[in-house]
Amino acid sequence: MISLRGRASDFGPGQHLDRAVWMVVDRDRLTPQRHGRAYKLRDCEEAPPGFGLYLVDDARFAPRDGAWIALPPLLRYVAAGDVISASESGEHVRVLWRAGSPNNSVLLTERCDHYCLMCSQPPKERDDDWLLDNAAELIRLLPTSTPGIGFTGGEPTIYGERLIELLRLCRNLLPDAGVHVLSNGRRFANFGFARSWASVDNPRMMVGIPLYGAEPALHDYVVQSEGAFEDTVRGIVNLGEVGQRIEIRVVIHQQTAPALPEIAEYIARNLPFVEQVALMGLEMMGFARANVKDVWIDPLDYQPELREAVSLLALRRVRTMIYNHQLCLLDRELWPFAVRSISDWKNEYHAECTDCSARDRCGGFFFSAKYKVSESIRAIPAAETQAPALLSLGR
Amino acid sequence: MDANEQKSDRPTEVRFAASTTSVDAIQRAAYRFGDRFSVELLPGVDEHICILRSRDDADLDEETENFRVEVLDQTLRVRIRKETEPIRTMILAKAFSRTGVVDPQDLD
Amino acid sequence: MSRFRGAEAFAASGDDWQLLPFRFERLNGRVLVTNMVGEHLVLSGEDFEVLATGELPADSDLVRRLRAKQVIKRSGERAPLSLLALKARTRHARLAESTGLHIFVVSLRCEHSCPYCQVSRQSEDRDRYDMTLATAERGLDMTFRSPSRSLKIEFQGGEPLLNFGLIEEVVRQAEVRNRDEGRDLGFVIASNLALLSDEVLDFCARHNIHISTSLDGPADLHNRNRPRPGRDSWERAVDGIRRVRETLGVDHISALMTTTKRSLDRVRDIIDTYVDLGLRGIFLRPLSPYGFAIKTKSYSAYDAERWIDFYREGLGYILELNRQGLDLTEYFSTVILRKMLTNVEPGYVDLMSPAGIGIGALVYNYDGSVYASDEGRMLAEMGDETFRLGHLEVDTYESIMTSEALLAPLEESFALSAPMCSDCAFETYCGSDPVYHYATSGDFLGRKSESDFCRRNMAIFKHLIDLYENDEFARRTFLSWAGR
Repeated sequence: MISLRGRASDFGPGQHLDRAVWMVVDRDRLTPQRHGRAYKLRDCEEAPPGFGLYLVDDARFAPRDGAWIALPPLLRYVAAGDVISASESGEHVRVLWRAGSPNNSVLLTERCDHYCLMCSQPPKERDDDWLLDNAAELIRLLPTSTPGIGFTGGEPTIYGERLIELLRLCRNLLPDAGVHVLSNGRRFANFGFARSWASVDNPRMMVGIPLYGAEPALHDYVVQSEGAFEDTVRGIVNLGEVGQRIEIRVVIHQQTAPALPEIAEYIARNLPFVEQVALMGLEMMGFARANVKDVWIDPLDYQPELREAVSLLALRRVRTMIYNHQLCLLDRELWPFAVRSISDWKNEYHAECTDCSARDRCGGFFFSAKYKVSESIRAIPAAETQAPALLSLGR
Repeated sequence: MDANEQKSDRPTEVRFAASTTSVDAIQRAAYRFGDRFSVELLPGVDEHICILRSRDDADLDEETENFRVEVLDQTLRVRIRKETEPIRTMILAKAFSRTGVVDPQDLD
Repeated sequence: MSRFRGAEAFAASGDDWQLLPFRFERLNGRVLVTNMVGEHLVLSGEDFEVLATGELPADSDLVRRLRAKQVIKRSGERAPLSLLALKARTRHARLAESTGLHIFVVSLRCEHSCPYCQVSRQSEDRDRYDMTLATAERGLDMTFRSPSRSLKIEFQGGEPLLNFGLIEEVVRQAEVRNRDEGRDLGFVIASNLALLSDEVLDFCARHNIHISTSLDGPADLHNRNRPRPGRDSWERAVDGIRRVRETLGVDHISALMTTTKRSLDRVRDIIDTYVDLGLRGIFLRPLSPYGFAIKTKSYSAYDAERWIDFYREGLGYILELNRQGLDLTEYFSTVILRKMLTNVEPGYVDLMSPAGIGIGALVYNYDGSVYASDEGRMLAEMGDETFRLGHLEVDTYESIMTSEALLAPLEESFALSAPMCSDCAFETYCGSDPVYHYATSGDFLGRKSESDFCRRNMAIFKHLIDLYENDEFARRTFLSWAGR
């Protein structure tokens, strides 16, 4: 687990930073650009002049001139190429972008019109438009060659056209980047908005939309909102009509696990135009803990349903992936579908994993798994890893 | 003459209440069994009378029961068709319209 | 109080359920229900009663299943309508794609003398029985008049290799035309392979031509079915298949069997022969009621029931081989499974409604006559010109497609308005085959209760659904066939 925010251990007294978002540079990665750059000083290093902000690991080495922040120990990993945001005084620091990470995901808002039973990031009803502004600044600072960027919430589409503008900025400034946006999909039930989304015209853009049932009652219950299924399905259809790339995400928990085959059948027949389906293990964070008795299920207990769901999709050529599952809890024949998907900053391994022969192929655990995890976690002996899957699911 | 032949030679009469069973449903059911027995239908105000005649060696006792069930099923099919016809037409219109499957209300 | 509401709060309140169009069929106490586009579910008798009597509760497992399969909806819901429309549109997209298959009968001559074949002639008379270049060019004109984005040109006979020079010319001209047209153009030669030369193979390799051949099973069966001088039809076919596999590739060869009375108790031998030759699939085909088959009574010699047993045994054996790790597909089931398990219309001419004749395929006979299907041409060779749509010299694509000879059977056989078919739970899996029914019963529609076509297909549909529902391995295999 890597921390993404913290309080400065010290900062320049009485300083007022003139901007919130900064790209970190240092001695080795120094460009002529100064605008929006924060210079990270090594210990004892003489501060080059002209930067709006300096970062130090230790306040003793703070520069004499200019604004500075001494990073707390947990954020000292911040290095050149990373992007941070800081409060006006410099006291509060967030890491927005880590250059070394393959999965950078940018939070656009904490507001949401759903209230999912297992939400790992419970919504907060307060004005946080500044997150959107920061995201735009981030995009302006990132290298043109950035390979990918994700946007999450809350529900990013609450911004409406302002989200579309951000995505357009993304297409124009980061032409090589795969862009992934997580949304509950309801706003796309408005065809005008779906068309607006399509007008971004970025072939590298994909929207990930959760679906928790093959009919309204279950989905609406899981997201705690009437009419959600109806809107989301119509939204997906509209996005399909305008030729957009769609990923459907199904979080597997106690409520959705029994319905997995039905959901898979529903997707294969009704929404076969989606690009991929991600079947996702539960993250024991946020509301999932509050609702543990209604959502927790040991992955071992839903293997038959998961196998059936994967057959129903993959054999009909719908690209199917299993996220967030430890291989020791997954049927051997499902391994080819497992993706190492847990963001590196949330990723952990257990003591049992030390001797596991499949560790390199395994996604490991969410950091939050320490809260609750299957009791069947085990080291997989080498013979099992090398044996081919007994049944073929088309891979 | 053995019992089987006797059975198959004898026409069987089946009655349906006119209030619950339409001539259409009876005809549809009769069509389905065309290869096994023929049905002579005598429509009435209170009752429709059907006379079943075996075509080959079909066991009419058993077939009569199948026929009753089939008439019930056909009555249900007629009802479903009637009840769902407008929605069916609407779906097909949507499927083949120029705007495609997008709801007109959503085209703002 | 919890911030979360329980599941019951999101179940539909009240019983304002609306039925969506659906059809049903009883299956040994259980009831098969299919929705408007052919998605199926199997209900218990009791559950079906609840649906039939219209006494559905606000929430139950049954209600959820029915909603998921779009059999019922609540009055305000619009998504189910959009989805049904979307699926109906996808299914019918192929209709707008007419006509995709164009069959050129380049010669009626053949060195085989198969008893069930009516059309071929054992003759040296090229002038009389070969298609001329002028006729072929008119055929190409018509081919490129059809609006279909993909065009497949199939060369048939007789034995088409007896007029190979014409095939070469048609292929060349079609390719030249296609430089401007940009269609998805493909070629197939349907040959018994007895005359397959290296020159032919070389030409096929250069022009990406597929070969479709006949293989009735093991040597004794095949050679009895297909007499030729030297009695070596099987040996030549097998040698040809090997050479095609090696020269053109395994995906460029397919074999088709003709089922005769003698085939019926040898389905395993037949399948083994296909497996031995490395063919990736087999089409368990009923004997067609055309040509000599009707005249020689070899068709009426066995009834639909015996063929159904043959099919069931064959399919069971194929599944068994798959279970052992062999990848072998049964193509007739695949056509049906694709209709059952996907929204894609496979466009198999015998299982389309409206019928596939004309829309799916046009046949240009050696003499320039145009037919609605290959079977229609065979009937004509027996003296019945019902399915002759016109002639290449005088007709245009438009006049052919609007001819009474095409429209009448299309309209009269349309399954959605046919008695029994319109209410049949399997209607979307089936098709109307006006040529078959005309040949067997004298009208385009046929009496379905007496139709072997109907009896055979119903039995297959029920068998496939039974396996799909009750056998996990069969289900997976079927899904993978449908997904190909």
